[in-house]
Parts: sequence; C-alpha cells; structure tokens
Amino acid sequence: MCVCAGMEVTRKVQGTSDSSITPLIEASGLAKGFAQVQALKDIDLRIMPGEVYGLLGPNGAGKTTTIKIIAGLMEPTAGWVKVVGFNPVEDPIEVKSRIGYIAESPILYESLSPRDFFEFVASVRRIDQKAVNQIVTRLADAFDMAQYFDSPIATLSMGMKQKVAVIACFFHQPPILLLDEPFNGLDAKSTRIVKDLVSLHTQQGGAVLFSTHIMEVAEHICTRIGIIHEGSIIAEGTLDQLKSKSGGRTESLETVFLKLTNEETEIADTAKRLQEAFLKN
Amino acid sequence: MKLSEAWRLSSVPYKESVYQSLAEERGRMWWGAFGKSHIEKDTRNDLELTQRALRIARFDKMVVAVFNVIACSIPFFSLSLGSSIFGLTSAISLSLVVTFGFTVLYSVQTLSSFVGAKSSALMATLPLAKDDFSLIMLCSFVRSVDFMVVGSILSQVLLVAFLTMSPLAILSMLAMATMNAVFAVAVALWFSRLFYKNLLRGGRSKFNTVLRLFFILMWGTLLMGIGFLFSVPWYIVPHLEIMLLGLNTISSFFLGILYPFSAAIVVSNFVYQSVAFSTVMIASLAIVAYLVLAGLAGRWTLQAVKRTSEGTGINVSRSTAKDFSIKTRNPMSGYVIKDLKIASRNPATAFFFALPVLETVTVSLLITNMQMLRTSMILVATATGGVLALFMPLALLSAEGTGLEYTKTLPVNARRIIVSKTLITTATYAPVPLTLLGLALMKQLTSPLGLLIPCAITLSIASASVLEIKLFLNSAADGRIGALVQDIQKLVVAVAIVLIPEVAYGATYLASLNHLLAVMTMSLAAIAELALAVHLIRKF
Repeated sequence: MCVCAGMEVTRKVQGTSDSSITPLIEASGLAKGFAQVQALKDIDLRIMPGEVYGLLGPNGAGKTTTIKIIAGLMEPTAGWVKVVGFNPVEDPIEVKSRIGYIAESPILYESLSPRDFFEFVASVRRIDQKAVNQIVTRLADAFDMAQYFDSPIATLSMGMKQKVAVIACFFHQPPILLLDEPFNGLDAKSTRIVKDLVSLHTQQGGAVLFSTHIMEVAEHICTRIGIIHEGSIIAEGTLDQLKSKSGGRTESLETVFLKLTNEETEIADTAKRLQEAFLKN
Repeated sequence: MKLSEAWRLSSVPYKESVYQSLAEERGRMWWGAFGKSHIEKDTRNDLELTQRALRIARFDKMVVAVFNVIACSIPFFSLSLGSSIFGLTSAISLSLVVTFGFTVLYSVQTLSSFVGAKSSALMATLPLAKDDFSLIMLCSFVRSVDFMVVGSILSQVLLVAFLTMSPLAILSMLAMATMNAVFAVAVALWFSRLFYKNLLRGGRSKFNTVLRLFFILMWGTLLMGIGFLFSVPWYIVPHLEIMLLGLNTISSFFLGILYPFSAAIVVSNFVYQSVAFSTVMIASLAIVAYLVLAGLAGRWTLQAVKRTSEGTGINVSRSTAKDFSIKTRNPMSGYVIKDLKIASRNPATAFFFALPVLETVTVSLLITNMQMLRTSMILVATATGGVLALFMPLALLSAEGTGLEYTKTLPVNARRIIVSKTLITTATYAPVPLTLLGLALMKQLTSPLGLLIPCAITLSIASASVLEIKLFLNSAADGRIGALVQDIQKLVVAVAIVLIPEVAYGATYLASLNHLLAVMTMSLAAIAELALAVHLIRKF
C-alpha cells in the first residue's frame, strides 16, 4: 500500500527536526481561550516528514484543542498554523484534503453502515474507486469487519466504530495523520495493525501527530514527544532527551511524565488518602 | 417495590430513552465550522446538544399530546364546523382512527430507543430484584405515551358525555377509547421492535428498503389523514354517516365488522337507535372479538416490555458481508445520497419525505371540486405545496445530527451542503407540477399558460431553500423557544421568496389582463431569485 499519495516530501527524515527540511506541520504562538479558560498558551510545533510526534498530557491539558486547531476544526485566538504550507483558517479545504483525522471519540453517521459511510467519505474525497476498494478490502479484512460491514454504525461497539474511523482516516493516503487517542477501544490485534500503519506511513515520508494516555505506546512509536500541561508544552524531545531533562536515564516515560507535570507527589498523596479512607471503612 | 417508587425511579430510564432518540437526530447543534465564526461557542456543543434534546423531549411530548387532543376532538364538532349533518357514529370512528394513528407514529419514535434496552443498561447494574426492575421499565414505557393516551381517552369520553349525557354511552366510550390506546401502543411497540431488529441485523436486503418505504408511506398516510381531517365536517361526516345508517346494505354490514366503526356503532347505539338492528348485532359481536384481541395485545405488550428489561427482548444474527467493495460517486452525488440515506432511516425525519404525498393531496383537494382549473387555483395550490416543501431543508439539516462533526473533518464546504439539500428539497416539490399536469388533462383550463406557474415556482423553491439553509448555517439559537423563533423566521423568509413570483403574476395580470405577460413577469422574478441564490452559494 502506498501511503502519502500526492505529497511533496523532499527527504525522508526520522526522529529529527532539521531546519533545512520543510515541516509538514508548523505552529507558532498558538493560543486558544474559551469563556473563562485559557486552553492553550503560546504553543510552538514543528513536525517533520517521517516523524511520529506524541502529544502527552493529563486530561484537559490542551491536546485535543491543539489537534482540532491543526485540523481546521477550531480557530486559534492567537498564533498561526501551517499544514503542508496551508493555513487551516484560511484554506480549510486544502488542509482537510491533506489530513487523516481520528477524533477522541468516534462520532460518525450512526444510521449509515460502514459500507455506506466509506462510500460517502470516498466520494467526497474524490478517491479512485479501484484504489479505495483495495485499501478498504484489506483493512476491513484485517479488522475482521465482515459481520459489521452492513450494520448501522449505531449498533457497533466503540472499538468497531474506532476501526471504521481508522479505515476512513487512511484510505485517501494523506501526508499527515492527526490521531487523537487512536487506540481507544481497540483490541490488541487492531492496536498492532494501527501501529504498523503508522509506522508504514512514516516510512513513506508522512508525519503523525497523535495524543495518547498510554505511555507504553508513546514510548514505542513516537520519534519525538511533547509534554503538554495546562495549555503549554513544558518539555519536548526524544525519549532520551526527556529522560535526561527529568534527571534519570533509566526511568520509564510514565515516571518522566509524572515528574515533569509535577504529578508524582500529588499521586502519592492521593493514594495515601484513599488508602486511609478505605481502611477506615 | 411500591408502584409510586417504581414510577419515580422510572424517570431515569425514560429520560435516557427519549434523550437517545432525540440527541442524535433532532438536537439542534452548533454548525460552527461551516457557518459564521463564533469562537466562544466552540466548547458549548455537547452541553448545548444535551440540554436542547432534553428540552425538546418535554416540549415535544406536551405539544404532541395537545395536538392529539385537538385532532381527536375535531370530528365531534362537525356541526359547529359547518357540516349539515351531525354524526356521532362517524365522529367516534374518525376520532378513534386519528388517535390510533398519532399514538402509533409518535410512540414509534421514542419506543425505538426503548426497545434497544440501552436506556436500562445502567439500571441493570444496580442490585434490583428482577420484578422490581421490570416494574420500573414498565413505568418508563408508560411514561413514553402517558400524556397522549390519557389526553385522548379523557377528551373522547368527555366529549361523548357532553354530547349524549348517557351513562352507558360514556362507559362504553371509555372502554373503546382504552381498547384503542392498547391497540395503538401494541402496534407501536411491534413496529419499534421490527425496526430495531432490522437495524441490528443490518445487511443490504431489499426487505430493509421496502420496510423503510412502508414506514414513509405510513407517515404519508397520516399526513393525508390530516388533510382529510380538514374535510371532516364537509365531506367525510355526511358520507360516512349515510353509509353507517344504510339499512342492511353491504357497506353497513362491512363497516359493522370493521374496527373502529364497530366500536362507534356500539357506543352511539346507546343514544340513537338509528342504525339497523342487524348492523348493531354484528358490531357488538365484532367488539367482543376486538376486546379479546385487545386483551391479548395488552398481554403481549407487558411481556415484550418485561423481556426488554431483562435484555432478552430481541435476538438476531447479523448478516455477514460477502464483500467489502464500495461504490464511489462524484462528491455532490455522494453527499446527496448520504443526505437521503440518513434522513430516510431516521423515524423523526423520514416523514418529511412523505411531504410530496401531502402536497399532492393538498393540491388535489383544493382543485378536484372545481369544474374548471382556474389560474387563481393553480396559484394557491402551487404556493401551498411550496410552503410544505420548505420544511424539507430544516429536516435535512436536523438529520445531519452529530455525524456532522465528522463531515467537518472532510474537505466539504458549506456550498456542497446547501446545494445537496436544495436539490432534495426541489425534487420533493416535483409531485405538485405533475399533479397539476394530471388534473389539467381531466379539466378545462382558463389558460394553458397556467401550467407554467408550477415550473416557475420550482425555481423559487430552490432559491428559498438556499436562503433558508444559509440562514440556518449562520444562526445559533439559545434554547428551544429561540430555536423555534429562528426556524419560523427562516420559514417566513423562504415563504416570502416563493410568494414573490406569484405576487408578480397577480399584479401583472390585474394591470394588463394578459396571461402571457403575467407568466413572463413571474418567470423573470423566479429567474432573478435563482440568480441571487446562485450568487449567494458562490459567496460561500
């Protein structure tokens, strides 16, 4: 399967942020404020071809907001974003043609069957029937979708809905994948397939920005990680760089994450309080 | 568990089932990414959607109950509405039919999510005895139809009491109205189970398509019923009454067997002994059979509710796809097909596809009694059909539901959304010109040029639809009343657009008494509107 059709990537680089290469995603001074909350503060991002950039952060840190702004689903209150050279605010259609997006929770057309849904998405994206049929057939088969392919999406489990979203995200072979918690509800086999697809995508020169809570996944597939906390990226780099920032070279990403977000002490205190409460009862 | 406690607790699964049927389908959502930019409202989507769905649930239930009471009372007022004949038998029959139809069609919408048993999923995890749980779910089921059923039974009984003052007639009316409600609820539950079963099974069977068409036709029949209801005092009551009073005729014999006429004959016989004895006997025997049937239907309903609460209600095996091939189309066709599929599969919006039926009925009813097809009547008929077609864009936009969140991630602009929905709306209007053409073949025309009127109005429908959708995309209402007011505003603007060419026709004809000139002016006005609409679309 050829990933990233139509993408103009000059060089395949993995795990670097070389300034001579045009980044596929670039953001500067990105901020987003809601009524009383400042969700994002001065975010800078550069994601290069071949990179898997993991956005890690606690709930409400601003991961989804960042991804939505890049996908052109939300406007920033300050700063700018460029996706393959296009600004999502000014050229949303150009940006949406070049991204594959999986939302945090798969919101699809519930009354359509996966077949109907794929037909709709493929038609809107103007994908060649032969090409899309090849991809859909392989992925649907890999995801064991035969029993669900003609059932309304409303009747599918969360994992199965996520598989539908994954297939629809890949079949136009976009240069950029924006994956917001893509492994939600997926079983082990499907998680592995998605990881392989991500890997294949970057080997072909594509870029991936994804958010996750699963540290193990981030540890294994990310070439670079950004730790986002209260709307700001507080640390960024490869796993080794982050480990040295947190002061220990043998620590797991989870420990590094908790140290950098100052949640380690808080967790210990909470555990102590819970233990006391349960022991009293 | 006490019944009062079960009733109180049942509000939780009831709200959940109503919410499920509304939130996905009818909750008015914020269209942000396609419409005007309102950054501060980006995060309000979910909260707003939930609150609106719950508000709509309360509002809908009340409005539908009131409407049902009014509709089932209309046949009783045939004298004061202009009929030369008052017929208690026909009034009761029609009232029972109307109540049955509305109860079934409204209940199907809420019960579809009830039979899915998702609403009871959370409660099922609580340490409740099996019987208590079943009782709670039964109460939750009753809540879905309580206002409608109680309202219609009370109004029918009170109206019979007011008109007859006969205790026997009142008591028998109470029995018949209750039996009618039992039948309606059982049929609604059966339909809901059928739809849900079909939904679970999936597949690409022809049966699914036929069932969907059947459902749409059912809605059409109901809408046609509303159309007929307007004619109750003038046409139906006198005809029906004459048939029912016919001595030993074949028609009165069959009507005596047929529900609800048998019920009406039995009730009215306690007051007026005007129906033939043989017909009354046949009707009485039929009613005994219907009462037994109602008892069985009631028992089946209780068992079905119990099975649903136990999670053993519906067992189906999904159909397995034989291949994974998909068919791609051009983007516009893809969007139109998607719109048609989601709107026709949703019980809440499917009935809008029955609008052509209503349009045709409206046009036919307006014209059939005339000797000649006058141009003025064509103008009125086309405008009426046009107004009904203008509900379609709102229905199509509502049907998008939360799935729109996905479309926002696709390279789709507002232009495509507007054009797709405009094409469907315009196609919905097509039966009107066709009906007029058919009528023109049977009747004389004051001017053959009159047949061009619906063609010009078709252009206006397209223009009005564009503006209606554009206004929708640019608005975000706070609250149900706000949304309702905004919907009315959009409709008023759209109706005005449809009426402009008609006014142009009228004014030109009055000034010149020339049909050709009037039609030309009308067509020019319609073309100008369409040009403006195209300009608006291009600006998106």
